[in-house]
Amino acid sequence: MKANNNRYLLAITTLGLLLATGCQKLDEDPKSNLTPSTYFKTQSDLDASVAAVYAELTPDYAFGFTTRMTSCFGADDLTTDPGLNKAIFREFDELNASSNNSGLINQWQGPWASIYQANNVLANYTKVTGSTQTALQQSAGQAFFLRAFSYYYLVRVFGPIPDITAPIAANARPQRDSVSKVYATIVSDLQQAAAWLPASWPSQPGRATSGAARSLLADVYLSMTGWPLNQQQYYAQSAAEADSVMTSGAYSLDPDFNTNWTTNNGPESIFALQFNVTAGVPERSFGSTSVPLDESGLDGSGGWDDFYPEINFYLNSPKCYRSWCTYYDTLKLLNSDKKTFTLVPWNSPLTHAGHPYYKKFRHGLVTGGVADGVKETSNSILSITPSTNKAQDFIRYAMVLLDYAEASDMAGNGPSAASYSAVNLVRERAGLPDMTPGLSQLAFRDSVVQERAWEFAGENGVRWFDIVRLQMLQKINAARSPLENPINSSNALSTRYIAPIPFQDMSNDPNWKQNPGY
Amino acid sequence: MKKMLLLLLLIASLLRSSAQNQAISGKVTDEAGKPLAGATVTIKGTTLSATTDENGIFHINTGPQIKPVFTISFVGYESFDYTYKGNSNFTISLHQDTRTLGDVIVIGYGEQRKRDVTGATVTVKAADIVKKPIVRVEEALQGTVPGVTVQSVNGMPGAGLAVRIRGTASINNNNDPLYVIDGQIGGDISTISPNDIESIEVLKDASATAIYGSRGSTGVVIITTKLGKENKTRIDINPWVKKEMIAKELPLMNAYQFAIATNAQYATTGQPPAFSDAQIQSFKTNPGTDWQHALQDKPWVQNYQVSVSGGSNDVKYMVSYLHLDQPGLIINQWYRTDIARANFLIKASDRLNLQFNLTGSLPHNRNTWYQGDITDPFAEAYAWDPTSPIKDANGNFILESSHAALGINPIAQETNGLNDNSSTNLTGTGILTYRIIKGLTFTSNNTYSNSSNINRQLYGPGTSTYLANSSNGFALQNTSGGHSFQNSNYFTYKGSWGDHDLTVTALYEQSSGTGYNNWSKATNLSTYSLGYYNLGLGATQNTSSGYSSQALQSYMGRVEYKFKDRYLLNGTIRDDGSSVLTQKYSVFPSAALGWIISKEDFLASSRVISFLKLRASYGVTGNQTVGAYSSIPKINVGGVENATGYPFNGNQSAVSIYTPLGGPVSTNLKWERDNQTDVGIDAVFLNGLITFTGDYYYRKVTDLLYNLTAPYYNSGQNYQINLGSLYNRGFEFNLGATPVSTRNFKWTTSGIISFNTNKLLTLNGLDNVITSNIGSAQSGISILKVGMPLGEFYGFKFLGTWKSSEAAQAAVYGNKPGDSKYLDVLGTHTINATDDRIPIGNGTPKYTFSWSNDLTYGNFTLTMLFYGSHGGQIYSGTLPYTYGGLGDARNATNAGILNVWTPQHETDVPTFSPSSNNYINSSRWVFDGSFIKLKNIALSWHVPQQWITPAKVRNLEIYVSSQNVFTITNYPGYDPEVTNMTNGITQGLETGVIPNPRSFTFGLRAGF
Repeated sequence: MKANNNRYLLAITTLGLLLATGCQKLDEDPKSNLTPSTYFKTQSDLDASVAAVYAELTPDYAFGFTTRMTSCFGADDLTTDPGLNKAIFREFDELNASSNNSGLINQWQGPWASIYQANNVLANYTKVTGSTQTALQQSAGQAFFLRAFSYYYLVRVFGPIPDITAPIAANARPQRDSVSKVYATIVSDLQQAAAWLPASWPSQPGRATSGAARSLLADVYLSMTGWPLNQQQYYAQSAAEADSVMTSGAYSLDPDFNTNWTTNNGPESIFALQFNVTAGVPERSFGSTSVPLDESGLDGSGGWDDFYPEINFYLNSPKCYRSWCTYYDTLKLLNSDKKTFTLVPWNSPLTHAGHPYYKKFRHGLVTGGVADGVKETSNSILSITPSTNKAQDFIRYAMVLLDYAEASDMAGNGPSAASYSAVNLVRERAGLPDMTPGLSQLAFRDSVVQERAWEFAGENGVRWFDIVRLQMLQKINAARSPLENPINSSNALSTRYIAPIPFQDMSNDPNWKQNPGY
Repeated sequence: MKKMLLLLLLIASLLRSSAQNQAISGKVTDEAGKPLAGATVTIKGTTLSATTDENGIFHINTGPQIKPVFTISFVGYESFDYTYKGNSNFTISLHQDTRTLGDVIVIGYGEQRKRDVTGATVTVKAADIVKKPIVRVEEALQGTVPGVTVQSVNGMPGAGLAVRIRGTASINNNNDPLYVIDGQIGGDISTISPNDIESIEVLKDASATAIYGSRGSTGVVIITTKLGKENKTRIDINPWVKKEMIAKELPLMNAYQFAIATNAQYATTGQPPAFSDAQIQSFKTNPGTDWQHALQDKPWVQNYQVSVSGGSNDVKYMVSYLHLDQPGLIINQWYRTDIARANFLIKASDRLNLQFNLTGSLPHNRNTWYQGDITDPFAEAYAWDPTSPIKDANGNFILESSHAALGINPIAQETNGLNDNSSTNLTGTGILTYRIIKGLTFTSNNTYSNSSNINRQLYGPGTSTYLANSSNGFALQNTSGGHSFQNSNYFTYKGSWGDHDLTVTALYEQSSGTGYNNWSKATNLSTYSLGYYNLGLGATQNTSSGYSSQALQSYMGRVEYKFKDRYLLNGTIRDDGSSVLTQKYSVFPSAALGWIISKEDFLASSRVISFLKLRASYGVTGNQTVGAYSSIPKINVGGVENATGYPFNGNQSAVSIYTPLGGPVSTNLKWERDNQTDVGIDAVFLNGLITFTGDYYYRKVTDLLYNLTAPYYNSGQNYQINLGSLYNRGFEFNLGATPVSTRNFKWTTSGIISFNTNKLLTLNGLDNVITSNIGSAQSGISILKVGMPLGEFYGFKFLGTWKSSEAAQAAVYGNKPGDSKYLDVLGTHTINATDDRIPIGNGTPKYTFSWSNDLTYGNFTLTMLFYGSHGGQIYSGTLPYTYGGLGDARNATNAGILNVWTPQHETDVPTFSPSSNNYINSSRWVFDGSFIKLKNIALSWHVPQQWITPAKVRNLEIYVSSQNVFTITNYPGYDPEVTNMTNGITQGLETGVIPNPRSFTFGLRAGF
């Protein structure tokens, strides 16, 4: 027994000593995670990082849903239900928004998320080895393009914002930079993108091209001529950039306006975000979102009633093929037999809102004659779906033409023949006669601006941003039907051109000052 | 049930009258031979009893037994069984009771006599644990430990309880205490059968918890499992069944009321009526669907436990098995588990003890993942359209309605959606104790634990996912698992010289844990007929996997010193090194003093004060609420919503993988540090007739860890930082008494009250941080604000409605009479989120209390536990969704809307007027959450010994009980005890959480 105990003692002491010397490693090795220190080795690392810059723009909380235009509801091409759960849009429609608006946050969050990824790419792409200079520049060029694309939205919606062009520390709280500083970054990014991007990406229509960069630059310059910068010298640069796109011959108007709303990446598409329902990237600003509450499909699915044009905007639109494609003014109400439909005009007392709706956003993507948004015939609705595969066009060739028409008019001493020819291309395709010849400089500008309103009705706030840069709220409000949601007149109109900074980020930094009037 | 009780009473009285007379006398004394007056002498297995006179003499009639066994009991002394040997005038001497203060308790890496403990520590014994038909170990602590609040925050089967020891000390952490199971630190108590527990020790102050250093700041609960007793082989069975039901429902409208209210709502916004007159008339005879009721179930819960224990001089053992089947309060929801345990202690030699504890548990559950959200079926049910049937004429679910809740038919969702888990947990503990020389012992405690879980989900036809887009239907399997290892080695030296007693402990400990998962998802299945069993059917397949590992290395030393058996000194120091922080090592010290005053000469002879001890302690503990790799920046794979890639090629073909940069990370992360001071008193009066424990504590927590949301311009993702400081301070008292103790009737009672104040002191220079994201609709409802407690609600102050007399004033705000009226904080004449949101309530109770009673009459025992909470408020996210006018709940379902404002009847229920703002984050939805519950009441009957002894039954007890019997509260929601609580901020928030069931239990405990 004694011997046994000694043996135990020896074994235990040895064991104890072994353990007490310490063998636990406290270093961390995140085996299943990529980290910046081990990444950006190859071109495929870089490609996947560039894809992230695009992907951040696609969710519902970015540009994948109607909330991407929340702040644009002050325009006459967008209004919403007087009741229901549409307060986020209604607040802006009534020019009575708050920094707590949960739709507005998507206009802030989405672009910033994309900028965050773009800065990651631009800070690291030079680390990649074993690739070509061209490939690296094309990758960086896309990041430049998308960073400018996002900043362009942010600066127009929110005014002064921090101009962040590189990754920053977790605790960094940069100040809001001036609008002109942000525009300087946008212009410089787009010039770099135009220089480095290819004219096209074979079989990858989703990628940004040099044409997209130049087209966007033309629009950026045009915006710079108006409020708040009012730098009229940029008319000429806007016209020049637009002209370079037009003369490149890379794009043309789709002869059928409607095809833009049933197919993806047609001849007119210069830059579009791509979606794919099965891959978890649905586009949800087509389909249900644009369908009246009053409509139901035979399968029981219903409309979401999120947005539709104001009455006078619709009534003033010239009747033509384009307006036929654009507006949905005969509603199909499902009868109580749940089989047949009653067709009623938009202003019928049987409708709850008494408004026309948009037709062009109903279809989604049409494949083999079957739409993935609203499946319908002229007198029945089979189903209404919120998630579609439709690509979301942000730059159509029509925009380049109209940018050119306005910029060339304002850069010189009135419209040139080329100015007329650009706007008339759009009008002819719409099914309208040519624009009245011999208009004065300002009359021509106003006509083109009006043309943009009808051509881009309901699209991405194009109309709203025109109202902002040309300070047209008073004029627009004067033409507003009394049947619309009432405008809150207690807010100074001059403060409504930019939206409030979302509350969350205001409270993140006590030094930030909210935009006036909010 | 009443009939059964009457029957039992009848049987008991019959028994009494059948006894015969055989007189025996005896004497009862204390250890010194002094007579004890008033001691009770009972003949075992009968109700025959007598009381001693002032000379300690008793006379008793023994009945028919020849060699009866006397049980002699007296308060403050140990009960004693004496077998009658035939001699008359015998003397029995009793020993002072050691149960209250003489007990040895587990203190972590050792044991200590309870009287010598200097920390604030409370013990719960097996006998008290088995009293209640509990499913979770935490329930044993509810209402039994001062300073500990135990809240059943969710009524789902298998749900854990929120245990808070001395308030909320951390923002991030769930604030649950550290569980130490047979030495395994951070053990999972859901894998423990309550019946297997020998004792639970709750360590509250820092001098007790500092030995667990970086993990001790939320308090420590040490659980020791049972072993057998020498020479007795015992078989115990403990089956019970329990009927459960929802105790309270919300007052919802029937179809007729709903149709009228909805039409009235539409009229205010100028819309055509939703229901025609004919429809409304038809609802008079057809009450529609009561969704709240239709989703409910009233299940039978079944629990069966059997254990075998025993031993010899060299071996002790206990093996047990438990089966629990617990369906939920809503359909298609259940939790089932099987737990097996085998504990063995082997005395290998005089010096060497080996103990092996093996346990395995196999929990399975279905649809028990709802933490409370407006889209949960339970929440959709109280907001769904009562005019819609559940199914159409063909027997198919009607999935949507144009009225009330926007979500899918909750019964279809709950029936068709499956989220199932099945787990296997295995833990083995090996403890080696070796006595090296007299007084010096070496212990090595090693635990290896392995667990795996498979989560399977199916959301096909008839679920909201599929309804939104049929190509989004999916099936998935996520296999996750992990293993952990802990090796604790310590030397303990105990020595005594004259008046000096000394115990020294030195520890080296290392532990590590590794986790992994494999996640596979199939979307858009060609058929859903195989459920989630074949993911190959999906049009799209996604997979991902993960890995995580962390480690801890520690050194600890402890000195316990006692002088003259009355002056106590305790000091500890622990050095913890962790893999997850940038600053790896931190030291956690503590010191405590104790003075047993009753040992001093001036009290030694007191007849009133039997025991009196003063305690004081100070110590530092930490909190490791940081996940692995928190300070390493990451590049993610996919991860933007559900997107698997970006479709550069248009939507026609495969997508490209993408790798977004994760959020920014802190480059300097430290432990949260909890500095706690405690002073306490333990007292026993009149030999145990009255016991009292009181404590005051002050805990200051610095370097609070917080998951701060980076600004959106810097990813908008969360990152961990050390953000500021807070304190908790409070008093806690426990008063126990035995007011009545006669030969037939005994009443013991205990009252506990705990006060706690919590205040945020600093926030890195910020005045406040507004938090968000509890459920899908409660964005920004909480605020962290310097000078206020955690759990502060933040929103608009609701002032009722604008009255007709205030029309002009209302117009200034763009409102009209009947609209909601909110406080214009800055007098700007507009109500907006920037200026007009203020703190509007707090979820932290001012005090919690409990009162327990045990009444024994003969063979009957009645126990009652009242439990209450006072001064906390609840933000209800449930009620706004029953009042309509919100995105996800278009029309009201709550009968309260029948009281809506009208010009004739100006109530404070606002109309649906378009000019009225219906803010969900307003004080309209903040309610007083104070409550008193009769948490448990039980009546048990010990079947008389002479009935069962012939059948070789050692013990048989039959009982009936009820839980959550009634609740006294002003809270208008389902249950003031349930919340969405997941951390220090979210206490007091409640949206769609399933309430605690009221239950009725029938069970028995039998020993062989």
